Amino acid sequence: MLRLDDIVVRLGDFCLNSVSLSITKGEYLVLLGPTGTGKTVLLETIAGIHRPRKGRIWINGRDVTRQPPEKRGLGIVYQDYALFPHLNVEQNIAFGLRSTGMSERQSLRTMEDLVRFLDIGHLLKRRPAQLSGGEQQRVALARALVMKPFLLLLDEPLSALDRASRDRLRHELKRIHREIGVTILHITHDLEEALFLADRMAIMENGSILQHDRPEAVFARPNSRAVAKIAGIRNLLEAIPENGRWVTFLGVVDIEDILKNCATDPGQKICISIPGWNVEVFPGKPEDSYLWKGTLRVAETRLIGDLVDLVLSGGNGGDDIRTSLSRREWETLSPFVEQGKNVPVGICKKGIHCIM
Amino acid sequence: MRSFGTVLFGLGFILVLFVAMPLVRMILAADPAVLKGVLAETRVYQSILLTLRAALWATLLCAVCGVPLAYILARRQFPGKSLVEGIIDLPIMIPHTAAGIALLMVYGKSFLLGRLFSRLGVGFVGTEAGISLAMAFVSVPFLVNSAKDGFLAIDPRLERVARTLGASPWRVFLKVSLPLAWRSILSGAIMMWARGISEFGAVVVLAYHPMTAPVLIWERFGAYGLKYARPVAVVLILICLIIFFVLRALSAKQEEN
Repeated sequence: MLRLDDIVVRLGDFCLNSVSLSITKGEYLVLLGPTGTGKTVLLETIAGIHRPRKGRIWINGRDVTRQPPEKRGLGIVYQDYALFPHLNVEQNIAFGLRSTGMSERQSLRTMEDLVRFLDIGHLLKRRPAQLSGGEQQRVALARALVMKPFLLLLDEPLSALDRASRDRLRHELKRIHREIGVTILHITHDLEEALFLADRMAIMENGSILQHDRPEAVFARPNSRAVAKIAGIRNLLEAIPENGRWVTFLGVVDIEDILKNCATDPGQKICISIPGWNVEVFPGKPEDSYLWKGTLRVAETRLIGDLVDLVLSGGNGGDDIRTSLSRREWETLSPFVEQGKNVPVGICKKGIHCIM
Repeated sequence: MRSFGTVLFGLGFILVLFVAMPLVRMILAADPAVLKGVLAETRVYQSILLTLRAALWATLLCAVCGVPLAYILARRQFPGKSLVEGIIDLPIMIPHTAAGIALLMVYGKSFLLGRLFSRLGVGFVGTEAGISLAMAFVSVPFLVNSAKDGFLAIDPRLERVARTLGASPWRVFLKVSLPLAWRSILSGAIMMWARGISEFGAVVVLAYHPMTAPVLIWERFGAYGLKYARPVAVVLILICLIIFFVLRALSAKQEEN
């Protein structure tokens, strides 16, 4: 549906480096990356706002690299929605239809179903300044969707909202995607949002796409430390080869099984990615299920909603190991898992991944 | 905190007094009967009408080229952009009599553009067209800079969204950029028009006759003294103030809507 081949864009000091990406029809792709990494520039390049120095953009098999935005058939919704402040909601939604030469009456008829679907009929005569953030977002979506775009581009559409509105509108986006069937490219720096919405995820940093896969695959097998960090993997353990063994700040770890199929250079350090749920406090599984077992000191406990975050320290001033307990687990274990106490900890082999 | 505000307020008030006092003093000192008599003088009201008309023409004609130029300066980066911005600001810097002489060197009867226009039946020396030309030259920076600020204040993403909705660059300019920058453009046009009305130096070099109001005031002051120049000056100030406040009120009302 959309294919980017080796796109290079230069804007002042910033550069998009050879970005290649594809989206299939009906897919919800989330582009995840920290702020200032070039996500919006990429989105605007796809929309035709910036012209690439190199590379090709294909939409439905058509090369649109040199086409202006109005010829591409894409819709865009920005973070702060960019509603036309001098027009009311109805005129905002009809703007695109009127640009195609449609009469006012026809455009009103065309937008009728969508207005009902998004439940914004009561807002039609209001100005954007009179709308809440959530209402503005639905209007911006209606304005883009009424043009029946091949692809809807969403630029951090939820980040300007409070948590309650964000949660509600996340479901709304899922519903729009499911019921209208529009292909969506959504950019965000919020991991939780990406995991909730994405069919596939592309991880971006410093103007490059680092990995592009299903969310669970990115999470299970990050291809670099940067991806692991962006994907929210909580523990990245450096392992150094010493006399045929792998040594970490926790001590010697047995990762030969995991490294069986990987080519490592002699003397090469590796990084072990360990999701938080792979770390067990009071481990109870058979011995060979664990990569490492030992005692760590509880450096910090932090209550976050239904979860309790634990920071476990090796005690030698090195790195930490981080995990979470459910509130129920924590209440059971709390006499033993207090700050400053030593607790037995096991790191499960299953689910860990080595990054070369 | 309170004394800080009081000091700022006091200092600002001194400046307001500095500007307002001479104008208020002159208006209050005027005898309404004398003003009425002055307005009844054909020569006076014709010169006031000429001034208002010539400044209006200058503003309208400059808006046709100035607004697009302001948009380009606000939205595009191109080599020599700073030079263009500098050239537009130049008339504010140079003495206006010098500006008049410079204009004469290009639009005078014995110079290239002057000869060209004179073949088309348009002369600039001693004509209303010349007055408009001089007014346009010295006051156009007010229009271009204000319109540019207006365009700069528009979030470029509004224009980008409009393009993705199928609007051509022309439609985006006419339906999004222009309506949103309208207040700044109008404000710049009012400033340009007002500055044009008050222009003396460049106008007097290019077209002493027909006489604009500032030239008439100068002539009366030189030939007959303050007593005869003051009523014409008061009338001109009053007319300018009335038009200025009406246009400001209109643009404020539009903004409110």
